[in-house]
Amino acid sequence: MEILSLFNVALLVATLRMTAPILLVALGGSFTTKAGIFNIGLEGQMLVGAFFAVLGSIWSGSALVGVACGVAAALVFALAFAVLVVSFRANEVVVGLALNILAGGMTISLMKAIFGTRGSIVGKGIVGLPKVQIPGARDILGSWAPLINGFTPMVYVAFIAVPLLVLFYKRTRLGLYIRVVGEKPEAAEALGISITRVRYIASLLCGLLAGLAGAHLSLGYITMFTENMSSGRGFMAVAILIFSNGNPLKVLAGCLLFGFADAFSLRLQTFGFPSYLILAVPYLVALTALFALSYRSRPKIIRETLESMRKLLSVDNKPAEFGK
Amino acid sequence: MSTTSPAMTAPEAGPAETAVELIGITKRFGAFVANEDVNLIVKRGEIHAIIGENGAGKTTLMNILFGLLQPDQGTIRLNGQDMVVGDPATAISAGLGMVHQHFKLVPSLSVADNVFLGMEIRRNGLIDHTAQIEKTRELSERFGLKVDPEERVSLLSVGIEQRIEILKVLARGARTIILDEPTAVLTPQESRELFQTLRGFVAGGMTVIFISHHLEEVIEVSDTVTVLRHGKHVATGPTSELTKADMVRMMVGRDVSFDRRPREKSDGKVVLDVKNLWARDDRRLPALRDASFTVRSGEVVGIAGVAGNGQTELAEVLAGLRPASHGSAMLKGRDLTVLSTSEIREAGLAHVPGDRLVRGVDGNASISSNLLMGRQDKAPWSRKGILDWRAAATQTVEMIKRFDIRARGPEDTVKRLSGGNIQKVVLAREFTNEADFLLIDQPTRGVDIGAQESIHDEIMRQRAAGRAVLVISVQLDELLTLADRILVMFNGRIMGEVEGGSADSERIGMMMAGLEPKNVSDEVAS
Ligand SMILES: Nc1ncnc2c1ncn2[C@@H]1O[C@H](COP(=O)(O)OP(=O)(O)OP(=O)(O)O)[C@@H](O)[C@H]1O
Ligand SMILES: [Mg+2]
Repeated sequence: MEILSLFNVALLVATLRMTAPILLVALGGSFTTKAGIFNIGLEGQMLVGAFFAVLGSIWSGSALVGVACGVAAALVFALAFAVLVVSFRANEVVVGLALNILAGGMTISLMKAIFGTRGSIVGKGIVGLPKVQIPGARDILGSWAPLINGFTPMVYVAFIAVPLLVLFYKRTRLGLYIRVVGEKPEAAEALGISITRVRYIASLLCGLLAGLAGAHLSLGYITMFTENMSSGRGFMAVAILIFSNGNPLKVLAGCLLFGFADAFSLRLQTFGFPSYLILAVPYLVALTALFALSYRSRPKIIRETLESMRKLLSVDNKPAEFGK
Repeated sequence: MSTTSPAMTAPEAGPAETAVELIGITKRFGAFVANEDVNLIVKRGEIHAIIGENGAGKTTLMNILFGLLQPDQGTIRLNGQDMVVGDPATAISAGLGMVHQHFKLVPSLSVADNVFLGMEIRRNGLIDHTAQIEKTRELSERFGLKVDPEERVSLLSVGIEQRIEILKVLARGARTIILDEPTAVLTPQESRELFQTLRGFVAGGMTVIFISHHLEEVIEVSDTVTVLRHGKHVATGPTSELTKADMVRMMVGRDVSFDRRPREKSDGKVVLDVKNLWARDDRRLPALRDASFTVRSGEVVGIAGVAGNGQTELAEVLAGLRPASHGSAMLKGRDLTVLSTSEIREAGLAHVPGDRLVRGVDGNASISSNLLMGRQDKAPWSRKGILDWRAAATQTVEMIKRFDIRARGPEDTVKRLSGGNIQKVVLAREFTNEADFLLIDQPTRGVDIGAQESIHDEIMRQRAAGRAVLVISVQLDELLTLADRILVMFNGRIMGEVEGGSADSERIGMMMAGLEPKNVSDEVAS
């Protein structure tokens, strides 16, 4: 009885809800991944998106303006990333990390400067996104209705974006060029496709979705901003992107897994398991699954990584042999 | 412009029937002069070959013609009209098309997508894959270039990749087609098919310019030859009036010998012992079937065969790049099939891969970094685990000299080198490794005639030093000059073995075609 009551419609609904933000940001990262850019700056873009969405919402009293502000802020970060990485050829990881740190610090100090508080912004007239009611859903689906009904708008955006992205990569010219630039830049160059332009566009598209993801975090179910509220979702998205290679369907699968683990851990908490352990569950589950999935397709890389680690360790053990 | 042979006539043609005229082209890279006052006149409807040593400036000249590089001096005239070819788009709209030395296809896309990349057929704003496939099929049938438009490029052989590159050019309406070393990656059979296609092109009024290091095929297929040497134009004239020896002399400035290398019989210890080796290809089909052979110290064993008959897979298994599905390959008592690539190198393998740009070098790194790769923890390149860049630089300079790598210096980026010189970088690194076993896949692919000779010299020197050498080549001539024994592969099997000295090319040819099954001589099985 106890165990069974863990799994129910509510859990599935929670899964979808938890999946949405990470799905949005990961789909954004799919653009840069496909364009051959390793974008570790997703976390920061999402965070400024969340913060400025709250600011915009307070100032204007409109959730929609809030979302627009969040997206604009994320786009500025994405543009900065593109300028440094694409135009100035700076190292992607360094720039991404730097922007993440900047995002974390900036939101904290702005919060202090504007609201005089640390920690979180609650109340203060934040207007959240309304829940979408689909007419007739309850009549047709009955108790299953919450599976498609009553989410905030970004949840729908996230899931609808998946097939759209599939279509985008398959059937549109821009999507095709993004793939070509990532896979074989010299082919793009030879055909007169501007690598720089395509990579800028990909970075900005990424910023757009990351901003939406951020806005969803702070204006979706809970209307508040807390320090570092993206809490590693951007990094999880990066992990999912590495394993999925930016393929929208695989991204969806990875994100659903994470969302499920997240929802499940919340549920476990209500059953009184220690919360610190449980908060680690989604990350552990997702990483383990991703590792297992990718082991099949890339056993060689993993074997070689293990081997080189072994070598490194054995060098440490026998320093005398090193200089012979 | 100097003329070194009486057979040469001054290139002269009325504007109406010239497809391409390059006049007084000079191109410098820094202080280095890649093309110096070069003239090239190509008549419409001819096959015009350009020959010259590695680094002679052939590719550079073609890149200028195609708008990929801008000349420092000189005029380009296309179809009798002066043009400034600022970019490839201009060249394409003037009816030029170029098939590059290194292909530029996107592996994950279909053939049709690659053909129409950059000029997609769209309906309602979306790419119309069906129409692209249809159009590709049409083109492929019209010009006799057989491809399956729906197949993914990553699954295709190089020969077919080249057809796609040619289709790309045709789809853009080219009337003059430039091919940079088109046969370097082809099997003799594929080359013959290509020549037939090219003949068809010129018969239809098109013009072909092609670069090659294989003088036999230049003689066989071209109407006119232009020779470049050290960036300068040496001569242009009708092919029929030149012999191979003439061409070599004009290219290299001396005579080059291609006779079988003299040698003493060696009977060293067995270094490599391959037993019942099986492996699968990328599509998981058996590609190597039950191969057994040995290579002894001080011996050169050649593997002949039409490309795609398991040679690549054999090389990859031995180098640890592909798992064996059955069997063993013992290198001095250690089984290569269970070792990782780095362990295999330690066990004593030096490997010159067939695809140098993918597995041979890091194109974006300098020559010295590339030569350093794999020995970053060995003296004299490093001491106590710390790289000694000064020692590395001296080593590099020495190797550049010994292998005659034509570059501006050890810090030159490898990607910038000419194709043949990139090959020399790989050879220099692998041949100086002191490994007991040398695995060389296509040693002289894309390498000029003078350098071919010196690479062959180097292989013979390795043999004399007691190394065991396995040479895989689609160039039968090359194996006949080098090998002590030749194994012939067909459909993944070793069909048989012939003595290098008494080599009977007819018998080898039959085995390459899969005709003499199960006639493996006793030595092979041992
Ligand atoms: N972008 C570049 N920058 C600097 N040097 C270059 C560049 N491109 C070519 N070179 C140099 O110009 C010379 C001529 O090169 P090119 O590629 O034209 O030779 P090639 O005749 O095609 O030789 P191969 O037969 O080996 O392909 C070489 O020495 C090469 O190193
Ligand atoms: Mg060249």
